[in-house]
Amino acid sequence: MTAVATATAEPEAQMTSTRFRPHEILRIARLHTVNPSIFFGVPWMILGFAWLISVVIAAIITGAGAPSDQVQEGMRYSWAVLSPQWYLVAVGVQAIAFTFSFALGFGATRRDYWLGTSAMFVLVAVEMAVAIATLVQLEKLTDGWWIGAGMFDTLWYGQQGWWFDFYSTFALELAVLFIGAGATTVYMRWRMRGMLTLLIGAIVLIVGCVAITTFAGWWPQVVSWFAAIGLVGVFSLLLAFAVVAAVAGYLVIRRATPR
Amino acid sequence: MTATVVRASGLTKRYGSFTAVDGVDFALEENRIYGLLGRNGAGKTTIMQLLTGQLFPNAGELEVFGRTPAEHADVLRRLCFIAESQRYPEDFHAQHVFKAAPWFFENWDASFAERLIADFRLPLKRPIKKLSRGQLSAVGVIVGLASRAPLTFFDEPYLGLDAVARHIFYDRLLEDYAEYPRTIVLSTHLIDEVANLLEHIILIDQGRILLDRDAEEVRGSATTVAGARAVVEEFIGTRPVIGRESLGGLASVTIDGRLDQAERVRAAQLGLELAPVSLQQLIVHLTGTDLAGTAEQEAAA
Repeated sequence: MTAVATATAEPEAQMTSTRFRPHEILRIARLHTVNPSIFFGVPWMILGFAWLISVVIAAIITGAGAPSDQVQEGMRYSWAVLSPQWYLVAVGVQAIAFTFSFALGFGATRRDYWLGTSAMFVLVAVEMAVAIATLVQLEKLTDGWWIGAGMFDTLWYGQQGWWFDFYSTFALELAVLFIGAGATTVYMRWRMRGMLTLLIGAIVLIVGCVAITTFAGWWPQVVSWFAAIGLVGVFSLLLAFAVVAAVAGYLVIRRATPR
Repeated sequence: MTATVVRASGLTKRYGSFTAVDGVDFALEENRIYGLLGRNGAGKTTIMQLLTGQLFPNAGELEVFGRTPAEHADVLRRLCFIAESQRYPEDFHAQHVFKAAPWFFENWDASFAERLIADFRLPLKRPIKKLSRGQLSAVGVIVGLASRAPLTFFDEPYLGLDAVARHIFYDRLLEDYAEYPRTIVLSTHLIDEVANLLEHIILIDQGRILLDRDAEEVRGSATTVAGARAVVEEFIGTRPVIGRESLGGLASVTIDGRLDQAERVRAAQLGLELAPVSLQQLIVHLTGTDLAGTAEQEAAA
């Protein structure tokens, strides 16, 4: 009986002395990079391939005799720069669906798992944001990679400077990763029933908002509000959404069970 | 004096209306090898998932190293559990598993792991998804052995392993256990393969514990008596019978309980053969009794 008592007392003392252990959180981030192709390799492959296609298309159009400045203007509406986002939603899903079960088997806590994974998401978002914001500047500097191709200097990019491009990409990356991961925590905790509830709830919420706005005739106010907050405001909203998904994911995963 | 590593009382896990683990009580002592035995779907994996904090019990109390295991880093770091149906991160290769293992297991022995990888001829650079069932089992076995976790679980380690690999596992486990004592829980339905390894047996069926006893005691707790049917019947008298087979005038009856010296001598004089019962036979008798029981009741009614 005494042996049991000491065995109980000892971890108690350890628990209180070192509650926050960065090493146990960071090893989760390392776990995500053991196979670097998932977070770094594939997104860049997608981006690289999209870039190649954009350049080839620009070369073909220019070669066919279209004026280079018009080509660049037309390619402003290319979505190629967003191509890795869809993949990153899947990365967010897989991080929870597969790596979570594995980390639990290796003796990680759910708390450390989510914190480590979040750290990894922030790292990936920063890395992508720095790279894309810089590539926008490079593309402008080289005047569309010397042939008038437009891939990065498109949509909202390249209009308000490096920092804005960085901020908008960071918010977007973080949002897609945390939405994918957060939704998957719902599955891991409540399985299919939870997923359907979440999906139906989200649809009801969106349709409800649209209906209320339409019947109350608030659309002009909504449009002017968005115009007032501007692009910075929109991406700040997106970032806030990512933070909400991150906090919700933390609360949900604390009682999630692996498959 | 040995310490108690795990203490469970009234431990229950339900999935909707299905009760996977039904109010079980047991304790695991330090530095022993336990066999968690039972048929498929008996609740073996669920118990291990509860013990490792992967599942949350619906009722009952559970202490592992003195605490509830779920979400307690100081408990979990002493555990190692690679489930039979373990999921690995997308595109993981076996080498990735062994690269990450030292970050999670403080006693990880890399050279031991390398030796085991060579022993099992595990291809390191093949995606886990492409591994055969036996190779997948080998990954779990290697992690379980090389982690040297104070409480290590092996979930169906023999699944798909060939005879040589099973033998390697058996040898390496005993060797390493002798050098680095720890508590080992081995779940399997292939009982004969591991029978000699086990020091203590916990037999579960339909979420309940049927037997929780020292392995030596279990092995000696039943005897098969064979010979001419009339003589056998007379010899066993009113002893509890757990199995009965007959062919023509011959009968082979397994009885619960051990025979003393005088009884053995008498059996020899009557020309009866006495044989020890293998663990597997005994467990088949014990977990198969449900069927036999209902059949007898029906016949009686």
